[in-house]
Amino acid sequence: MSASDALLVPVGEDLFAVSIGRVSQVVVAPPLTRLVTAPSHVLGLFNLRGQIVPLLDTAALLGLPGGQATAFAVVLQSRHGLIAIAATAFPSRVGLGDQVGPSDLLGTAGRYRVKDRVVVRLDPDLLLARDRPVRAGENTVSVPPTVGATEAVGAITSGGAAG
Amino acid sequence: MSILGMDQIRALFAQEAEVRLADLDRLLLQLEQHGDDGTLIRSIFRELHTLKGSAAVAGLDDVSRLAHELEELVVELRSGALAVSPAIIDTLLAGADQLGRAISGESAGGPAASPAGAEPTVAELVIDGKPGAVAGADSSTQGVQSTPVPEPGGVVMVQMERLDELVRLIGESASAHLRMGRMLMEKFGVDPTLNAEFNELSRTLNELQERAMRTRMVPLSTITDRLQRAVRDLAREQGKTIRWDVRGADTELDRGVLVALSDSLLHLVRNAVDHGIESDAVRVAAGKPVGGTIRLHAMQLGSEVIVAITDDGNGIDTTRVRAQAEGQGIDTSRLSDEDVLQLIFRAGLSTTTFVTDLSGRGVGLDVVRTSVEAAHGRVEVRSETGRGTEFRVIVPITLAVLRCLLVESGGQLFALPFHRVVLSQRFDQSGQSSAEGLPVIWVEEQPVPVSDLASALGIDGGPADGPIVVLADTARRHGFRVDRLVGQRDVVIKGLSSLLPHLPAVAGASVEPDGSILLVLDPPGLIQRARQGARGAAPVQVTPATSQARHAATPADAPPPEGSGAPLQRILVVDDALTIRELQRSILERAGFQVRLAVDGLDALAKLAEEPSELILTDIEMPLMDGFALTEAVRAAPGLTNIPILILSSRSSEADRQRGLEAGADGFILKSGFDEGALLVAVNRLIGARR
Repeated sequence: MSASDALLVPVGEDLFAVSIGRVSQVVVAPPLTRLVTAPSHVLGLFNLRGQIVPLLDTAALLGLPGGQATAFAVVLQSRHGLIAIAATAFPSRVGLGDQVGPSDLLGTAGRYRVKDRVVVRLDPDLLLARDRPVRAGENTVSVPPTVGATEAVGAITSGGAAG
Repeated sequence: MSILGMDQIRALFAQEAEVRLADLDRLLLQLEQHGDDGTLIRSIFRELHTLKGSAAVAGLDDVSRLAHELEELVVELRSGALAVSPAIIDTLLAGADQLGRAISGESAGGPAASPAGAEPTVAELVIDGKPGAVAGADSSTQGVQSTPVPEPGGVVMVQMERLDELVRLIGESASAHLRMGRMLMEKFGVDPTLNAEFNELSRTLNELQERAMRTRMVPLSTITDRLQRAVRDLAREQGKTIRWDVRGADTELDRGVLVALSDSLLHLVRNAVDHGIESDAVRVAAGKPVGGTIRLHAMQLGSEVIVAITDDGNGIDTTRVRAQAEGQGIDTSRLSDEDVLQLIFRAGLSTTTFVTDLSGRGVGLDVVRTSVEAAHGRVEVRSETGRGTEFRVIVPITLAVLRCLLVESGGQLFALPFHRVVLSQRFDQSGQSSAEGLPVIWVEEQPVPVSDLASALGIDGGPADGPIVVLADTARRHGFRVDRLVGQRDVVIKGLSSLLPHLPAVAGASVEPDGSILLVLDPPGLIQRARQGARGAAPVQVTPATSQARHAATPADAPPPEGSGAPLQRILVVDDALTIRELQRSILERAGFQVRLAVDGLDALAKLAEEPSELILTDIEMPLMDGFALTEAVRAAPGLTNIPILILSSRSSEADRQRGLEAGADGFILKSGFDEGALLVAVNRLIGARR
């Protein structure tokens, strides 16, 4: 693995990480529109240059106590479009190194050591799959296509703890 | 030596043939209607001749041979040796179909082909008493496979996704432009709206957005040929003489909407042939002209397109519908004939009464309604015994842009698709009661339960005396109290991420010009949610209306159900276009007015002499007496002079508007800006205040 292959997603006291290849960009606490009738782990929707991106509560997705204030939104790319998970502190870039053990929570993919901290790696596909509905006819509204990475991730590395 | 490989040549040929065959079909249908038209015959010959040549180049000898046989027939038509007859057209059309199948690689004989080797040739199929058929294509026809199928009528094929992407990028530019304006204001204290360049860019971006939206539109004519062919084939099969009349085929609508609609329209025209138009003998016996007419009339009205399919057949037998409905346990004794007509859209009923297996798919009118509603539209029916039936399909021009009523609830802005809004009204204690623990208001003499929109959505509500918006799904109506009505607007709707759980009450969202996000609610899901969650929740507080303003004819304004109170307000609708007339009628009747119709100014004066009206709603351009003359005549007549007159016209010039007002009209609505809300607001402004 390369020296800085992951992005840390701090959630409360915990540190999670996602593969840098899945991250589209990081947005500072975007103004949210409440998505009525949605489950509580959907924090709301925000406008990312014309695209409507849902922001999910990372802790709640993992079944941990949620509700901490969102400091940053980590926008992930997926086959089904952009979706963001909440970070409670600045998401810096790190190298994960070797796995130190398995992880327990659904949507995670092992524990890693970064300096003296344990970082739990997230598997975005598994993490997001819990909400992926089985829709009979999809939406009747024509939905714009999924777009690829809209911005280089390099843009957020300056403050990261690369090493 | 050819630069192109054979595969590429065949792919090109398949594209060319698709267009040529569509043209051929259309020309043949025209030929049948116009008889021996030399120009048409020459055009048909040209198409076949070109197909023959191209097929030969592509190495498709069977196709080329088939085209040659058909060409020979046309030569005889051209020379006058053969006369144009339905049998000949049958043969040529069947031949064209066979060509299409051969080109797409299917057996040239089609599914009903005789055993291999005994394949009937085109010529044998056709001409009675004309021996010496040319050897036709055999079933081993080598076709062009897996080639892209071009869109008929298109000049350049562009994938929908690319257009969507374009629209999205333009939206992004527009919002970047707005952000820039804000920055100018905040950082430099410059008001951007005072800057001509900035305004010019705003205008261009708006226009660009509008144009980009237009690129997704296709004219209705892209499917009318297919409909005509269906009518023609079925009529021939049933031995009926039927004239096909299309108007407004250049009306454009979103390709997605048209695709969603085309099967329904096909079903309705087939129905018209099968159940609408009587056989020639029956028509003669009834003293009607031999040969029925099926009309397809399309037009754009505001942000909607209306497609009316009318036949001059026998009408729908309401007695039979009643019997069928009774058989299913529906009590029809208290239903008017008009209400009974609506039953044909019910599942089970339509399939038994009105659908034969002619389409082979057993699609009933309930399916027509479901698919039209899936395209955010509605379908209406009117029928008169002995005179005919009209089905009206009304859909938004595009699914991407939805006309919405904007409301605020719990401090958040929501959009409600306008086609689901029955009416909106101020809160009024006198029109309220309670049923089964829920507050209820009367709408068109039906009790409609009322919920608080905020609590239905699970958010904190606002003041308890806000206006009520009544929404409808296919079966039910439900009122929702909101904090306030904000207005109405076309909303560019986007679906929500498919990574989110399905939220039945939310149809999608839209990015507002200021960059905020507007949620578009889905009324059927919302109604469902409100019904499930309503009981036990705090009832809506009943408070008297605080304002004199009226939004629409409301149950509180309308007479009480017993009919003991004030009589209905009467409106005379004057328009020579049937569809517009009927559309206005349906809107106004739904809003609680009593509506009479007149077809021109003279007819209107006659109707007014019989019985006065509280309001006249008139078109300008009409035969015999136009809207200006009618207005002047009404103003000059002693008994009528005070009747308010509203002009509804497609003429947009200031001169026309001025002339209408000078003639004595009280208001002027443009057809292009026409919608249910605008009409009701204008009507209520004029006669609501006089009550």
